[in-house]
Parts: sequence; structure tokens; C-alpha cells
Amino acid sequence: MDPAAAKYIGAGLATLGMIGAGIGVGTIFGNFLSGATRNPSAAGGQFTNLILGAALTEALGILAFVLGLVILFS
Amino acid sequence: MAAESMSEPAAVTSTAATGSTATAEHSGGGGLPQFRFEYWGGQIAWLLLIFAVLYTLLARVFVPRIRRVLDLRAATISTAVEQAKAVQVQADAQAEAAKADIEKARAQSRALAADAKAKATAELNLRQAAEDARLAGELAEAETRIRTLRDAAMTNVSGIATEIAQSIVERLSGEPASATDLKAAQSAQGAN
Amino acid sequence: MASPMHQFEIQPVLALPTVNIPGLGMIDLSINNSILSMLIAAGVVIVLMTLATARAAVVPGRVQVIGEGVFGYIDDLATSIIGHEGRSFFPFVFTLFLFILTMNFLGLFLMFTATAQLAVTATLAAMTILLVLVVGFVRNGANMYKLFVPAGVPWYMLILVTPIEIISFLLRPVTLALRLFGNMLGGHVALKVFAGFVALAFGGGIGLLGIPVATLSLGGIVALTALEFLVAFLQAFVFAVLTCVYLNDVVNLGHHH
Repeated sequence: MDPAAAKYIGAGLATLGMIGAGIGVGTIFGNFLSGATRNPSAAGGQFTNLILGAALTEALGILAFVLGLVILFS
Repeated sequence: MAAESMSEPAAVTSTAATGSTATAEHSGGGGLPQFRFEYWGGQIAWLLLIFAVLYTLLARVFVPRIRRVLDLRAATISTAVEQAKAVQVQADAQAEAAKADIEKARAQSRALAADAKAKATAELNLRQAAEDARLAGELAEAETRIRTLRDAAMTNVSGIATEIAQSIVERLSGEPASATDLKAAQSAQGAN
Repeated sequence: MASPMHQFEIQPVLALPTVNIPGLGMIDLSINNSILSMLIAAGVVIVLMTLATARAAVVPGRVQVIGEGVFGYIDDLATSIIGHEGRSFFPFVFTLFLFILTMNFLGLFLMFTATAQLAVTATLAAMTILLVLVVGFVRNGANMYKLFVPAGVPWYMLILVTPIEIISFLLRPVTLALRLFGNMLGGHVALKVFAGFVALAFGGGIGLLGIPVATLSLGGIVALTALEFLVAFLQAFVFAVLTCVYLNDVVNLGHHH
């Protein structure tokens, strides 16, 4: 196989890790919304926790993304 | 620091300053620009310097300033609220005092009115009593006068009756009746 | 089509002599565009805070309201996460937040984003973790091991939990650095890629068909730029929140609240 092609395929495969992060962040915001619509008065106090959870989850996706870029531009 | 020691082994290539623009033209063929470690040392050193200056400025100047303003504002608001509360209490007390004053004045006027009424009543009673006494005196006087007059009249009447009886007896019997007989007859008549 | 990575190239601005710092080796102190944008960000922060606190009136003006709003936001954050001791760490968190936020926003206005440089984010993350470690050891001493041994966990579970805790603690600086770096890098790369589509649509030899493609791409750039403003704020906020959370772990070690 052409090494350049293998590099591009590898970069694409590495970024697949973002799927999990996408699902995770979607779950977090979806559950937050369903909770917030049930008890809107408690939603404001949980904003920090929401962002915190989203950030911690997103970090893993970012890891995959950076890895993909590193492979792509190596 | 840990980050700086990380960059140390990489800062070996010295031709990077001239080579960086060349690699940029060739669509970044030499890896990510962020992984060109020859630039890490300068960036880290400058970042630490800038951060230290910024931290010192914020911690020593700006944060105390803002906190002082916030504390001042909180103090101002709380003192204003306290003041308003005190004024409210004062106003309440004043209203209470005014109410008490009105109450007192009302009571006073009521007492005054009652007093005046009582005085007037007493005077009236006194005058009435005096008038009554006077009237009673006059009445009694009149009664005594009437009584004396009646008594006088009564004595006159008995005299007249005696005379008439005497004259009647004289006319009927032709002889004068004795005064004692007449008297006895008269009293007998009066007793019936 | 220009490389989307071209915007992250370091370019010299002002040459300064290389300084030999003992123990660290030669460090080139020349000002490049990354350092320049950091200097501009620090200058913007200083000017804004000076304007915000210049009059220091009880009834605030416009800039003062902004300054006090940001101040109150981060102050509430630090006190709500760390507790009453949050005040002593507040200047550090506040500096981090303001500096990162300004660099992120400047990246959307200038040609260069300092927070898309791994050197910058790694240094900020290393500083934070170093502070956490120093505070932890100063306050807890040998009790620091409790950070990896949660209270109330049976011993057979500890065999499993402790390695996980240690690994997650060691990953903290890595994720802290990579999160900010990756978000900024990814957003700006996506912007450049969409911008490249505009140029490609006209130069790609598809004629008039290029107009709708270019319009769509331009719309994408506008939408992405709006998203990037949100991300720029959110990442600075997340960095501040995580700093508070990590500090809280060692400040209130052993007693949860």
C-alpha cells in the first residue's frame, strides 16, 4: 500500500474516536434538558456541572481528534 | 518547571527560524506547527513572565480594588437599608406618639366637657335648689298666711254663726239664747 | 489551497538575543507572533481591568459593570466549588480565566491564536497541576495518598480503584492541556477548511456551480464563527472550573462537602 494512503486512512480511523465523545456529550445535554424541563428551577444551579461533564467527556474526543491531526500532518 | 524541562531536549535544531516559512509554503509537510519544539522555550518563558506579571497585577491591584468596591457597595446598601429601617421605626414611633397625643387630647377634651357639664349641672342644681327653697319658703309663707286668714275667717264664721244662731233662736223663741248653749250646739254640729 | 495549518506557523516578529538560563539551557527569547498575541492579550486584560477599576464608583459605569460581572462570576464559581477558602485561590483562577478568554477571543480577531499552541496550553496546565500539587503537599503533607484512596471503599475494591485514581490524576494535566489546545485547533482548522472551500469553488473549474457552493461554505464560516465564540468562552470557563475542582480535591481532602 502507498504509505501516504495508509497515513490518511490511519488519520481517519483515529478520528473515529470522536464518535464516542459525540454520543457522550449528546447524552449529557439530553439528560440535562429532560431534567431541566421537569424541574426548571433546579436547572440554573447545575450549569457548572453540565459544562464540567461535557468538558470531561469532550476531552476524550479531542484526544482522538488531535491524534488524527498528528497522524495526518506527520 | 515540568513543562520547560519537557521542551529542553527538543530545542536542538537551530536552523528552524529560517526553515519555518519554507515549510509553511509546502502545505505544512513537516508535522503540526505546534510540535516544532524549537519555539517552545521562548513561548514558555514569555508565557510564564506574562502570567506572573498579570497575576501580580490582578492579585495586588485589581482584585482588591474590585473587592473593596463590592464591599463598599454592600456596606452602602446595608447601611441604607438600616437607615431606612431606623427611619421607619422612628416614623412608626412618631405616628404612635401622635396617636397617643390625639388620644390624650381627646380624653382631655372629653374630661373638660364632662367637667363643664358637671359644673353646669351642679350650678343648675344649686340654683334650682335655691329657687326651690325660695319657692318653698314663699309657699310656706303663703300657706301660713292663708292659714291665718282661714283661721281668722273661721273664727269670724263661728262668730257669725253664733250671731246668726242667736238671732234665729231669738226670732224663734223670743228670748236670747245663752252663749254657752250656742257654742255646744255649734261644736256638736261641727262634729258631725 | 493553502494549508489550514498555515495559521499556526510561528513567525518571528522581533529578534532578541538568546539567553542561557542556568539549568534549562539556551532559550531563544525572540518575540514571535505567538508571544506577540500573548502580550496583546495581557495588555487587553490590563487595560480593561484598569478601565473597570479606574473610578471604582459605588454606582458603576459600563466598563465597571462588565469587570464586576466577570469578577462576580468567577468569584461565585471559586467559592461554590472550593468553599470559603476559595478566596485565596481566586486571583489565580481569575487570572487564568481572563488570560485564556482574551487569548481565545483574540484568536478570532487576529491572525494568530496563542491558545492553539500546545506550548502555551501545556504550560498553563502544568502551572495549574503544579499549584495543585504544592497546595496539596503543603496542606496535607503525607496525607496526600488519600487522594488515591477514597474513604469508605473496601480493601478489595481499592486494588481496582487506586490504579484508576492514579491514572486519572496523571491524565489531568494532559487532558487539561489537550482540551483547550484541541478545541482551539479544531475550530480554527474547520474555519480555514470552509474558507478553503470558497476559494476551491471558484478555482476548481466547476464554473457557475461554484456560486452556490461558495455561498454555502461562507454561511458555514459565519455559523462556525458564532460557534467558535461560544467555544472560546466555554473553554476558558471549563479551564477555570477544572482548576477549581482540582484545587478543591486537595484543599478539602478527606472531608467532602
